[in-house]
Amino acid sequence: MVTKHQHEFRKRDLFLTGGLWLISLILPNPHLPYRKEFLKKRDFLYLGVLVLLPMVWPDSLFLMGLAGIYAIVALGLSLFLGYAGQISLGHAAFFGIGAYTTAILTTRYGVTSVGAFWAAAAAAALCAYLIGKPILKLKGYFLALATLGFGEIFLVIVREARDLTGGVSGIFGVPLFSVAGFAFDTYLKQYCLIWGTLIGLVLFAKNLVRSKIGRALLAVAASEDAAASVGINVVQVKLGVFVISAAFAGLAGSLFAGVMSTASPDAFGLGLSVLMVMMVIIGGMGTLYGPIFAAIFLTWLTNALAAYQEYSLPIFGVIILLLLIFFPDGVGTRLNARLIYLISYWGRKQRRERVDT
Amino acid sequence: MSLLAIDSISKSYDGVLALNRVSLAVRQGTIKGLIGSNGAGKTTLFHLISGMESPTAGQISFAGVDITGKAPHEIAVLGVGRTFQTIQIWGTMTVVENILAGMHTRVPGNLLSCGLWLPWIHKGEKAALKEAKGILEFLGLLGRWKWPAMQLSFGQQKMLELGRALAMRPRLLLLDEPAAGLTPAEVKKLSEKVCELKGQGITIVVVEHHQGMVMEIADEVAVLHNGELIADNTPAAVKRDRRVIEAYLTGGGRGA
Amino acid sequence: MTPWIHIPQLFAAGITMGAIYALVALGFVIIVRASQIINFAQGEFVMLGGVLTFFFITGCGLPYPLAALLAVVSTVCIGLLLHLLVIYPLRKASPLILIMATLGASICLSNTSALLFGTLPKVLPPFSGGLSLQLGGVAIAPQSLWVLGATFSLLFALHRLSHRTLVGKAMEASSTDPLGADLAGISRNLMVFFAFGASAGMGSIAGVLVTPLFYTSYSAGTLLGLKGFIAAVLGGWGKNSGAILGGFVLGIVESVSVAFIPAGYKDGVAFVVLLLILYFRPKGILGSPFIDSRRW
Repeated sequence: MVTKHQHEFRKRDLFLTGGLWLISLILPNPHLPYRKEFLKKRDFLYLGVLVLLPMVWPDSLFLMGLAGIYAIVALGLSLFLGYAGQISLGHAAFFGIGAYTTAILTTRYGVTSVGAFWAAAAAAALCAYLIGKPILKLKGYFLALATLGFGEIFLVIVREARDLTGGVSGIFGVPLFSVAGFAFDTYLKQYCLIWGTLIGLVLFAKNLVRSKIGRALLAVAASEDAAASVGINVVQVKLGVFVISAAFAGLAGSLFAGVMSTASPDAFGLGLSVLMVMMVIIGGMGTLYGPIFAAIFLTWLTNALAAYQEYSLPIFGVIILLLLIFFPDGVGTRLNARLIYLISYWGRKQRRERVDT
Repeated sequence: MSLLAIDSISKSYDGVLALNRVSLAVRQGTIKGLIGSNGAGKTTLFHLISGMESPTAGQISFAGVDITGKAPHEIAVLGVGRTFQTIQIWGTMTVVENILAGMHTRVPGNLLSCGLWLPWIHKGEKAALKEAKGILEFLGLLGRWKWPAMQLSFGQQKMLELGRALAMRPRLLLLDEPAAGLTPAEVKKLSEKVCELKGQGITIVVVEHHQGMVMEIADEVAVLHNGELIADNTPAAVKRDRRVIEAYLTGGGRGA
Repeated sequence: MTPWIHIPQLFAAGITMGAIYALVALGFVIIVRASQIINFAQGEFVMLGGVLTFFFITGCGLPYPLAALLAVVSTVCIGLLLHLLVIYPLRKASPLILIMATLGASICLSNTSALLFGTLPKVLPPFSGGLSLQLGGVAIAPQSLWVLGATFSLLFALHRLSHRTLVGKAMEASSTDPLGADLAGISRNLMVFFAFGASAGMGSIAGVLVTPLFYTSYSAGTLLGLKGFIAAVLGGWGKNSGAILGGFVLGIVESVSVAFIPAGYKDGVAFVVLLLILYFRPKGILGSPFIDSRRW
């Protein structure tokens, strides 16, 4: 642990220690979720970075937009996976349901983007409700398998029902997201749309986590028997959080269709579900910001790896494995511990030098 | 007036008869002790009362309402709280959060209203926090209210579990071996708290091996042996009962 | 009326596929019995069996039997490596992390195979000639008979191994009562190590057997692994006999269903079966020693 180290610091040590301490302030701290303060100073820092980014680095906006979409899914999934402790390997299906609902409604029936947006959330939520009722009785591996099965069934249906979904090639020409004639056609506008939605959803999620719902989620994750003994309807809680996380994924899917202008089955497979679960695990279970950071990180990673063509997926697999082996609690936790270790290193170095001289 | 009436309850697991036609009644405002050797069926009886298991035969009624086979959370809402033999606090949550989560059914709000943090949610949370702190003060845990629950000592964790059960304002409290693993000083403190709770009007059933504690605080004691009720009387009478002495001294049957 | 005509042929095809599912399911169950871990990379072992054999024949010019043997041996080594590099470091991690790790390994293996051996589907020549035998109006490829024969021989061998040899008994002990086995000096990690090797072996043999009938490619493993898992759950989770029964039942149901629904939905049938069985009888057909009936 951090031991009390005394006396003279050289200016360089102070500098470095201070720098490390500043970094640890910036990183999200995956400890207890019960916070009295709703918005910490750190949050304004993040907000500032988000606002400044388009001016400082305009080339990154497309990728950041995509990252934001995945971050919305990761946020919803973190409620189900990180807080309530359940497993879902099929969330790409809800993402896909949202995208296809939007695509079909806007191309065939001329529904507005905003209408399709909410319809996508409703469709995903409805599917989650129907599937969740029987599935959520299962635990552990069986729940993972059942959600995986659901994800695969969704893909099979999408590929086969060609009249509705365009089959393997999907639906093209989805109109870009627009509100009352104002179309989000540039990367900048899309970036603002996506991250604006994300901020709104983050506030919603923060409220949930702070309230009795958040406590109920953690209680169900830690001990279902104890939760039932205080009157918490475990099945209802699990179903509720499943539906909410699916609704988030549906919203993200709608934005995806509105930004990419297409919806095709290749984008919504097991690989995406695995990616999203990785975002929550690496981001840290039991935090909200962690998965968002992990979403940004993993989106950039997959983009960087794409340059390597055929090597990209094996390398990606290896990276996933390494991350799981070395950071099973999420990068944030270990990073904090490592920072504390590093900071204390200077003190120990001091003492060693003192002893030597 | 009996708050809890158990009528000829039997429970068998894959052919093993855990409880055999046990009938009990607990009068309102009293403390009932439940003792017996290990494997006699005490915790099974608690599981049946609190709804975690359903009986193979028989009926349980609470305050006149038949609760046989109801879901555990429904029974909890009716006013039955319990603690567990192997402690089941929520370790990663803070101490006060454990209590607040125990008040889940009494705090207003559903999914949507909580997410939007409507004004009455805020008021409800503040009132709940105040009440939770009151409970912690009663149990002597107020100083550690922000600690993660897993950092408490074992005795304090047991108190926390009691507090969580109290958060529901139960009418009936089922305590499953609350004194297990506690130091004599902690046992004394626990006995005092339990008597205070009785003074507040809560009916309590205590499963215990700690004979001293049970005989001291209980108004009536029931003895289970091999799934059967062999005595149900005042502590003094039970101590003198021949069958009870036989069961404990000779130690025949499954439990030993 | 018309769909029913095809039933016998589909039934026969279903039995063949069922044998493969049974072998994959058995691979899962071996590992689960030793360690309670579900190896999502199981299907990749099957894929590797076929792909490596193809590679050894075409790339190295080895004769068919030798290539097949070498492929099986290599896959066993890969299975053992998988344990050492991925499972052993994570032996204390939560089930979620293990699921993700085996999924990651699955991604790694299938895509590395695509990288090294190309993405084109690969076919192997059948073991004994390509002419189908006719049995009462149903055409059966001789390869199917090989598959069935090999499946039953493997099962028999597995049975003898677990009940007659010391290693087999040690693995049985380790799965039935881990703590007791530990105290008796049986190293749990070593048992899991062997389990991974054994299930990799079974999977690769299944792969070599089935490739002449259906082509194999880098992506075939994932779906096959999932179906094998479904078969294991269907038949009775954690039981060898359950895995076998489930494999055949799933194969037949899946195959016969093609007569009644459009062919494209065939893959979905397995997953519908999964959802149904998990909902109505999670223990599986034969019941399961692992699932507590009380709490389900």
